[in-house]
Amino acid sequence: MTVVNIQGEVLDQIWRDFDAASDSNSLDSSIANLVDLSGHIEKLDEQSLSRVGVRLTVDDDAKEIADHAKHLGLIDLVFPQFKDGRPFSTAVTIRRDYGFTGDLRASGDILPDQALFLVRCGFSSIVVPPQFSVEQFKVSLGAYSVAYQPAADGGVNLVQDLRAAAVEVAAE
Amino acid sequence: MYVFDSLDKSLLNQRVAEFRDQVRRRLDGELTEDQFKPLRLMNGLYLQLHAYMLRVAIPYGALSSDQMRKLAYIAEKYDRGYGHFTTRQNIQYNWIELSTAPDLLYDLSEIDLHAIQTSGNCIRNVTADPYAGAAADELDDPRVWSEIVRQWSTFHPEFSFLPRKFKIAVTGSDADRAAIKFHDIGLKIIRNDAGELGFEVYVGGGQGRTPIVAPLIKSFLPTKDLLRYLDAVLRVYNRHGRRDNIYKARIKILVQSMGAETFASQVDAEFDLLDPSLLAVDDGEVDRIRDMFALPYLRPDEIAGSRLEEALSESPQMRLWSESNTHNHKTPGYAIVTISLKPIGGVPGDATAEQMYAIADLADRFSLGEVRVTYTQNLVLPHVRQADLFVLWRELERLGLATPNVGLATDIIACPGLDYCSLANARSIPISQRISERFADLESQHDIGPLDIRVSGCINACGHHHAGHIGILGVDKKGEERYQLTLGGQGNGESAVGKIVGPGFDEDGIVDAVETVISTYLSVRSAGELFSQTLERTGHAPFKEQLYDRG
Repeated sequence: MTVVNIQGEVLDQIWRDFDAASDSNSLDSSIANLVDLSGHIEKLDEQSLSRVGVRLTVDDDAKEIADHAKHLGLIDLVFPQFKDGRPFSTAVTIRRDYGFTGDLRASGDILPDQALFLVRCGFSSIVVPPQFSVEQFKVSLGAYSVAYQPAADGGVNLVQDLRAAAVEVAAE
Repeated sequence: MYVFDSLDKSLLNQRVAEFRDQVRRRLDGELTEDQFKPLRLMNGLYLQLHAYMLRVAIPYGALSSDQMRKLAYIAEKYDRGYGHFTTRQNIQYNWIELSTAPDLLYDLSEIDLHAIQTSGNCIRNVTADPYAGAAADELDDPRVWSEIVRQWSTFHPEFSFLPRKFKIAVTGSDADRAAIKFHDIGLKIIRNDAGELGFEVYVGGGQGRTPIVAPLIKSFLPTKDLLRYLDAVLRVYNRHGRRDNIYKARIKILVQSMGAETFASQVDAEFDLLDPSLLAVDDGEVDRIRDMFALPYLRPDEIAGSRLEEALSESPQMRLWSESNTHNHKTPGYAIVTISLKPIGGVPGDATAEQMYAIADLADRFSLGEVRVTYTQNLVLPHVRQADLFVLWRELERLGLATPNVGLATDIIACPGLDYCSLANARSIPISQRISERFADLESQHDIGPLDIRVSGCINACGHHHAGHIGILGVDKKGEERYQLTLGGQGNGESAVGKIVGPGFDEDGIVDAVETVISTYLSVRSAGELFSQTLERTGHAPFKEQLYDRG
């Protein structure tokens, strides 16, 4: 599995899937565990939560992690199909309403051409699907230098800011 | 006219470069057709029955004469010498080669045109009143707000993969010439009691297999909150709209299943969570855009009208044209002229490259270089001096573009149908051509009066048949083309969905049926009563009787 950040650079993998059936490790061990949304996180303290990542499918109700989100190390939103755009809105909600500042990861069926949209909605890492290359994601992340909408992030300049700056320069 | 600044241009140029790379990857075999499909669809490129079709966006239906010339050039260079103006104020080219599509988009970009978001499950090209900035009954110019929505919706990171396509329309007049209540979001510009500008917001209208007139969900939205509110509507839809069934995925289904009030309260809750300053519509930006749409000073001419009357009394032919094809302008002495793209027996909405070049020249001579596209598939010269009407009419006659039938029986809206479209069940164009020929007589058309006939070749209803006074829907019945007849739809001002009259007809039968409906109207109407008024008074009964009970 290859994961890239918002510059398209490959990240080291510290997160591993937690398997409750075969794993004797408890969640608060030194290993960073990625869990499905299934009640694992309720009993953990804040410090342990920072070593826990939660994976949400489009059928999960993101509200269930609202109270814990601040302390989680990672949230992974899974795209069942690239054309199912729900995780874009979930990302906005998690960043804006739940105050999540950790790594927000996109995984599942994703097109390279969606990469910049993901970043602008607040995702900070992307799992590269096996049929695509890291290079394709990198190209796509750099395809645009400006955007019309204010967004979570993205390293692109906002048209409205640039226009306002131009007005100020003209006034000077 | 809105002119792109360097920022608008750099976005557009980056899009052209991106698409060129996508096409190269497809032609080199790096991308499969399955992988390429969603990418080309984000650029309005469809694979149709015979070739690729490219849909070019005409934002809110407004074109400069230079843009019109470029559309003509594209028709000549990349297509077979013509283009098709659509029911969403866009233009489609039907015979496009994939390998030259990137060059085509580059040519378009030189004049600020593109195919962005003319397909796919995203916020589509915003439509508006084609008489914007010219109509006497206008409260405010809908293009200003349409442009603000265009920018906000272009490459929206969160709302480019919605459950289904999403259409927004804006009007600034009571006489709603943008059919806003048949859109996913309809915006009507109003003033509140304090004199402030804002919008009535209608959400969840549409046609297709579930025609619905949109309910009002916000009775006054201040203009500065426009984008914040749209953002909230779209987020509720993106989160909760159905994705399991393509036929139930439009926002209208969500609004109906939740109930308009519950939907509105969810939108309000989402609206409250948004930082008010983040999406606040900036006054400076509104002024910047408004300035670009401002007209030069037009000198009112109070006596031009009476002079025109004199000219008309000497030319009955021009009088017919003037009655149906011109409309009141806000400045005395000026008129809004509609150029009919519905010649008798022609293909509704088609224009040749020569015609487009000629119309561009006429726009420069007579209409401050502006042209509009209507969703009824006609073109408009919005600012013509009444004193120039006679010369303009003569020029249009010479070009074969003076058909005096706007708003009448032969001004038929039709989708491309089975002649082009891979979704169609039946042909629409030949049906509209035969009806047009049946009612070719101009005097009798003017006697019949305003009549809105619309033809769709499948239930997706691109021909807007639900909203026609007389609607025709092509269906496939055991391999045969059949046509259902609906009566009582309304697409302008008032919005209403027509109802099916009875069993369908074959190709010959539907043309006869339309004639029967019209002759029934002529025999039962009271003096001065319009078709829609007669139908409202009598209901379907007399029409049904003539259509089905005679044999």
